[in-house]
Amino acid sequence: MSGHAVKEFKVTWGMVIDLDKCTGCGACMTACQVENNIAPMADASNKMRTLSWMLVFELSNKKAAPDAEIAYLPRPCMQCGNPACVPVCPVVATDKNEEGGIVSQIYPRCIGCRYCMAACPYHARYFNWEDPIFPKGMEKALSPNTSARPRGVVEKCNFCHTRFMKAKDKARQEGGNPEALADGAYMPACAEVCPTGAITFGDLKNPEHKVHELAKGENAFRLLEKLGLHPQVYYVSKREWVRKLGDNYAATGHAGAEKKHS
Amino acid sequence: MGLDRRGFVKFVVGGVAGTLFTPVIWKGLDDAAIWSQNWGWIPRVPKGEVKATPALSKLCPSGCAVKVKTVGGLPFAAIGNADNPMSKGGVCPICAGGAQLLYSPARVKSPMKKVGEGKFEAIKWEDAEAMLVEKLTSFKGQDGKIAAISGDETGTANEVVSALLSGLGNASGFCVMPGEMYTATKGVKLMGGNGQPGFDIAGADLVLMIGADALDSWGPSVANQKAFAASHPTGAAATAQFIYAGPVLNNTSSVCDKFLAVPPTATAAFSLALANALINAGAVCSASDFGDYKALAAKYTPEAFEKATGLKAEALKDLVARIKAAKAPLVIAGASFGQGAGALDFVAGASLNVLLGRVGQSGGMTLLPAAPKALAAATDRAEAKDAGSFLAQVATGKASPAVLLVYEANPAFALPQADAMAKALGNIAFKVSFSTYMDETATLADLILPAPHPYERFDDAMNPYGVAKPTYLAGKPAMAKPVMDVKDPVDVLLAAGSKLGLSLGFETYADVIKAKAQAVGADFDTLASGGAWTGEGKGGGLSLGAAALAKAPVAKADDKAVALAPVTKLACGTADLATPPANLLTIRDTELKGKDLFVQMNAATAKKLGVTDGNKVKLTGGSGEVRARVHVNEGVAADTVAMLLGFGHSAWDQYTKGKGDNVYKILTVSDEAGTGLKVWAGSTVTVAKI
Amino acid sequence: MEEKKQCKGCGGALPFVIGFVAALIAGWVLFPDLIYSKKIQPVRFSHKIHAEQGLDCASCHTFRDDGSFAGIPTNEKCAECHADVVGSDPAEKVYVEQYAKTGKEVPWLIYQYQPDNVIFSHKAHESLECTSCHPDMAKNDTPPVYYQNRLSGYSKQTMKMWKCERCHAENGVSNACHVCHK
Repeated sequence: MSGHAVKEFKVTWGMVIDLDKCTGCGACMTACQVENNIAPMADASNKMRTLSWMLVFELSNKKAAPDAEIAYLPRPCMQCGNPACVPVCPVVATDKNEEGGIVSQIYPRCIGCRYCMAACPYHARYFNWEDPIFPKGMEKALSPNTSARPRGVVEKCNFCHTRFMKAKDKARQEGGNPEALADGAYMPACAEVCPTGAITFGDLKNPEHKVHELAKGENAFRLLEKLGLHPQVYYVSKREWVRKLGDNYAATGHAGAEKKHS
Repeated sequence: MGLDRRGFVKFVVGGVAGTLFTPVIWKGLDDAAIWSQNWGWIPRVPKGEVKATPALSKLCPSGCAVKVKTVGGLPFAAIGNADNPMSKGGVCPICAGGAQLLYSPARVKSPMKKVGEGKFEAIKWEDAEAMLVEKLTSFKGQDGKIAAISGDETGTANEVVSALLSGLGNASGFCVMPGEMYTATKGVKLMGGNGQPGFDIAGADLVLMIGADALDSWGPSVANQKAFAASHPTGAAATAQFIYAGPVLNNTSSVCDKFLAVPPTATAAFSLALANALINAGAVCSASDFGDYKALAAKYTPEAFEKATGLKAEALKDLVARIKAAKAPLVIAGASFGQGAGALDFVAGASLNVLLGRVGQSGGMTLLPAAPKALAAATDRAEAKDAGSFLAQVATGKASPAVLLVYEANPAFALPQADAMAKALGNIAFKVSFSTYMDETATLADLILPAPHPYERFDDAMNPYGVAKPTYLAGKPAMAKPVMDVKDPVDVLLAAGSKLGLSLGFETYADVIKAKAQAVGADFDTLASGGAWTGEGKGGGLSLGAAALAKAPVAKADDKAVALAPVTKLACGTADLATPPANLLTIRDTELKGKDLFVQMNAATAKKLGVTDGNKVKLTGGSGEVRARVHVNEGVAADTVAMLLGFGHSAWDQYTKGKGDNVYKILTVSDEAGTGLKVWAGSTVTVAKI
Repeated sequence: MEEKKQCKGCGGALPFVIGFVAALIAGWVLFPDLIYSKKIQPVRFSHKIHAEQGLDCASCHTFRDDGSFAGIPTNEKCAECHADVVGSDPAEKVYVEQYAKTGKEVPWLIYQYQPDNVIFSHKAHESLECTSCHPDMAKNDTPPVYYQNRLSGYSKQTMKMWKCERCHAENGVSNACHVCHK
């Protein structure tokens, strides 16, 4: 696609999301908002303006009652192996250059041109149309893990990267190896909070981490795999119609799923 | 020698040139760039030690055992408590945003008294408490003059409230907000048993949920979700089947192995048709009324099933085959929105457990013995009046209380025919609202006494509805001091009691909870540090409830009306809580758009009603009406319209006020034949395009 | 004629030079002084006295169990020794009376304060001497003056990005954005 090769790292953080276990309850979205200091919006139904680093889509099999089925699909940033957003950034505010393979986004550096948003096929990037204004007092409940972003910059999920840094510090403190964290030592907020454990998180390359095997399962797939961006987020579903929707880009001339914004 | 103009210009040019060789411009630009990263209105994030403190987060109805993450002592997030059997590390969406609710703009900041229509004045706690004592003193001993409504299903606070009412000579004035615990316990009585029913989801290999939204808003939802997760390991075969039969393809049914769209008016018919099919497939049981039950169920033929539910008889056949193949099937019956179902709907579903011999079995239905009380004078919860019936009496003048205490409840919003209920509250001269938030009921109150947020208080939860075993949780404050000028309502009531000469034996809620823990046989300190106490559930010789079921109403067909299926999604809030700020994002724009709530129906129903996607419609039920826009959704049962509950607030904050409409307004109450219970789960409405 | 010529001569490049030199003086001598406001620490804390008691940096500037760095100690730590006045230094009396006994934390000025978008791990740099980045405070009796940049608001001593990057580059450590930013 972009001519850029897939970047390889010794540690590759990834997710395997079991769509047969996601009830769409929204706890991951809430935990993400809390962890990443996203201010509540007076009209959160205006999905052109909301910031949802983690967004739960509703998928439908498009069949009439009583055969209708739905599934929920949580969509964090895919942390692509060959990200479409990185080469288009004119100021290198976003990059994929750190061990772990998480695509970084540096807010003070971002000039808000939004090329990256146009480039990302997963709509995982969000633009701050407004300053992060919290109702009086609520700024005392801000998380220490993410800096507040001003109006005019782009932001996105970073797998709760500060938790990665803290997990490494904890490993150092306990005499472990920060470059080979144990399974579960580092968990993003969404994976940690999920009441059905639909999100499994870990190092895709480490055979001791659960995701290593799960990502290779027969029902595992990635979104829009044909684009060649090599997402580090895998999905699992036993339902064939759900798996088919994972790669529905205009190959047949019409999209298979109408994805509803949540 | 004077400086002429030419010389001055040279001087300035020299100065500018010289400046270029100093750091002024470059350092100034650099500093200005850094300054621009730190504009004053962009909030700074806190620094300090991060800790996790166990807490009981009673923001959702069953309460989540969480760990509150604090930075520098102030809460900022909640995570699950992996060591607690109720939570096992999971958190519900409401409790996940609990820290932000501490600073909700809707919080009541100090005690307030009413000084005019919708106008309040902040007062001191001592004045507020004196006002409360004065009012209670004037009506002490006059039966029927003092009443209380509690919206807390599990707290020992209820014992204090009801014991105080008893002491004031108003034992019958204790009312509770609707919930399934109440109807289910009545249902168990109709089946000749005693106690609160429990459901061992973790031990079952087939869970049939009839109405009960067990993986989102019914019962201990996080524990249920954990049980579901354990039986559905990622990347391996599932060890249990989950089947949902209800009016809407909701969060629970989205992950179920099978979804059967059953209109809310056909719940009992569905259960009895299943009973008939199971009996025809050879199911027998030793219950004394099996003969009567069999005869009764025989009326619910596959044809009757098709007519009542709109489903094909093959669906029933398939369900019977699945149940027959299961080793440990479990049936959970309940209203799809957690209230308003009749005891008979419950009996019809629960009788399947009796028929299948699943009562008292692992993975079956259990009965929880009554928990020991901390206050002997307290009313049993099952003996309490329901708040809806009570306010209906107030509306007609059959009851005329002078003082009403409202504890953690919002009856002006969350009762069927909500507008009429709010009006009835106006007939009560002095209303006290013990509330954390400025809700609809608080805005109607004469005295508002701010209650603490769960992180700021002691509280407990005894047997949250649905747990399979007796379960007790307790928590203590997770932060050093409250954010607002609050007092624990129980502490206030205990103090008021002692001023009235009624010693209830305790001075603080903390003491009450410690006594409760002791009575239960639990260690308070273990509970407060995130533990849980569990006892043993028991079986019991339940009948099939045939005598009661014989009175089960047959759904009447009404051409103009469609069945209304209110939908609860925990993330949208609860009966006591408008959508919290951190949950706003989770509402879809097919559920709420701007100020319009959507009414969901399938294409066939829409066609029948003559409406299409996006139409604005008016729904009328009883004396209430709500406005909405149509969203065609194939996941809604035949001849049914579905709407989210919990919107259309007239109080609260900028995030929720005036958003959507309140579906409680169009729920209509009817009397259930044979039980005297008020039911509204099968409400019907008319839909008109506007 | 002569006068005119003289005037031309007296003009010449001199005003330019005066302006140039004045700007250089203003820019190099006055400006660096003016851009910073001077603040002194609320308590005259002597690292020297504490070092002489045999304490080392890590006695007070500790790591927590999760590997995070506690930074400047809070009252809890200080009061382990200074719940009451134990010495004769007037500064200690100020601390005990105004802070330890009232429970108020000392609003220390932090020389190395970093913005919210920076994450710095002391744990990752533990193998280095404290003095590789911080001044050697062990011999310091009166805390240095805190120079606060009037424009940016940061302390003059705050380490800037180029310094972090240079050391990382020299030592072959990654300079990926996320290594330091959040």
